Amino acid sequence: MTMTVPPPAPVRRGGAALEELRARARAARRMVVDMAASPTGCHLGGSLSVLDILIAALDRRLSAADGTEVVLSKGHAAAGLYAALHVSGILPEDPVPHYGAAHACFTGHPGPAVPGVRFPTGSLGHGVPYALGWALGRRMAGAGGLAIAVAGDGELQEGLVWEACQVAAAQKVGNLIVVVDRNGGQNDGPVAAISPLPGLAERFAAFGFDTCEVDGHDLGALRDVFAPDRADASRPLAVIARTVKGKGLKPVEGKAAAHYVTIDAARAAAWKELIR
Amino acid sequence: MRERSERIDEQSTLSGRAAYRDELTRLAAEDDRIVCLEADLGGRGQPFQKAFPDRFFNVGIAEATMIDMAAGLAAAGYKPFVSTFAPFAALRAAESIKLAMGYHGAGITVVAPYAGVSGGWFGTTHHCLEDVAVLSSMPGITVAAPYGEREMRAVIRRAARTGTPHYVRTGRNAAPESLPWAGDEPPLITWDDAGALPGRVCLVSAGEVGTGLCRAVRRTRPELPHAHLCLIDRHHLGLAAEELARRYDEFVVVEEHRPAGGVASALALLLPGRVVRSVDAGERWPGHGGSHEEVLDELGLNEAAVWRALAARGEPEPLAVAGNES
Repeated sequence: MTMTVPPPAPVRRGGAALEELRARARAARRMVVDMAASPTGCHLGGSLSVLDILIAALDRRLSAADGTEVVLSKGHAAAGLYAALHVSGILPEDPVPHYGAAHACFTGHPGPAVPGVRFPTGSLGHGVPYALGWALGRRMAGAGGLAIAVAGDGELQEGLVWEACQVAAAQKVGNLIVVVDRNGGQNDGPVAAISPLPGLAERFAAFGFDTCEVDGHDLGALRDVFAPDRADASRPLAVIARTVKGKGLKPVEGKAAAHYVTIDAARAAAWKELIR
Repeated sequence: MRERSERIDEQSTLSGRAAYRDELTRLAAEDDRIVCLEADLGGRGQPFQKAFPDRFFNVGIAEATMIDMAAGLAAAGYKPFVSTFAPFAALRAAESIKLAMGYHGAGITVVAPYAGVSGGWFGTTHHCLEDVAVLSSMPGITVAAPYGEREMRAVIRRAARTGTPHYVRTGRNAAPESLPWAGDEPPLITWDDAGALPGRVCLVSAGEVGTGLCRAVRRTRPELPHAHLCLIDRHHLGLAAEELARRYDEFVVVEEHRPAGGVASALALLLPGRVVRSVDAGERWPGHGGSHEEVLDELGLNEAAVWRALAARGEPEPLAVAGNES
């Protein structure tokens, strides 16, 4: 593994204490399980793999208050996003009773009607160039702030992601961070079996990104990665976050079948007891 | 004498894309939120790039990224104007346009030269006879097909002032003489009807080719009224249809587009009980070379086709043009 540039020394920005972030993550996981018990079910595995990334990124957005934007490019993890927004205090309404319901904005892929969501995502690949535009706009205005795009590893099969990475490097948009939720799964099975991504960090490095790898469930490590303001950076940053599909829920952890799950209320209650 | 004066006018007017660049550069001097993005087809000597290099981005050959980036810039408070050839903007980046400009309502303006078959010998990959159908099916996007420098400038001012999504189709280098109209913005319908008689078939046009053909017909038959449309999305066509219906009962619509999803098909739905005939680019693929006009001839979109459509509604064809069938 070639590490082009290690993450700079963390600059603490007075975000929530680590224990508070862990509490948010636990609460959000329970909400995601409840959304899996809705009539529609939800993308359970990917929502749980990305949750800690979202909790840390949203804490960066809130605590820095510098115009940082978080874009969930893998929009199918909407249940995870809604839960993370709610426990972070950005989304006042509890999305659980309304997830997937008629006349509610909490669709299976997020849209801009949801408080805290700026861009529509779900059709994969778009979140990275949305974030690129946001980062460029902040840089042009001299206003600071990051754009953090959270993509799935399966999503990297979309050409649009790499098109955007090419432009980001060419335009030297150093306040763009692309986080890859490297859970190894996609809709029809393992990423490695469908269209593998060997040398992922090296790929980003070849495009002109700084890169780092991190445990995508280590909230402290994630917080440190997101802490610097990157105001002087001329290379965008790719964060390869190693995650586990279904993380935090032993019955489904690492299982491909956890990609989309519909359960009943009794199972939801039992599963929520397992979340620590 | 008339031909001579028109030739002088053509030399003194700008093509649609040149007028776009000039007007946007002028507006950007007053509005620092205006940014300009190109996907490597803007050519050298882009005046905006020279005047405002910090607000100009050639993103390279990356059309979908350009639209999505523009959505991010719009969210950050900017007014992005993006430009690439119509086939790449309207078709390759169609989903980005749907999500960013339609669903999200981002205030992006797409300026799309090479619409229709204005690319001539460049061939089918560089033609776009489908963009109005695609863009008109996305609610919330203003679709414009300006004719002449003055309309293009007005459309760009409108887009900058409103900050709402616009798609602006134009040709390659054609620089037709602008139609006269009063005020800062062209009216819903620009009536080209000096000498027109009531009760006749009304010509309706949009864009450079359609409008040019209707004007050519009127040089022979000034008794035929001509309604030129600049804004051709469903919302504006609905308003225009009301005005058309107040004046006339039969219409021949001329446009450089396929029959499906064009202006004529929309007006036919909006004007039940009225007669709407279409003179369009048909359903063949323009796979041969030639000038813009030669490719149009191959597709059967020329003055003779307009005369045939008029003849079908009882307006006699002039002999000289009737022989010019493709």
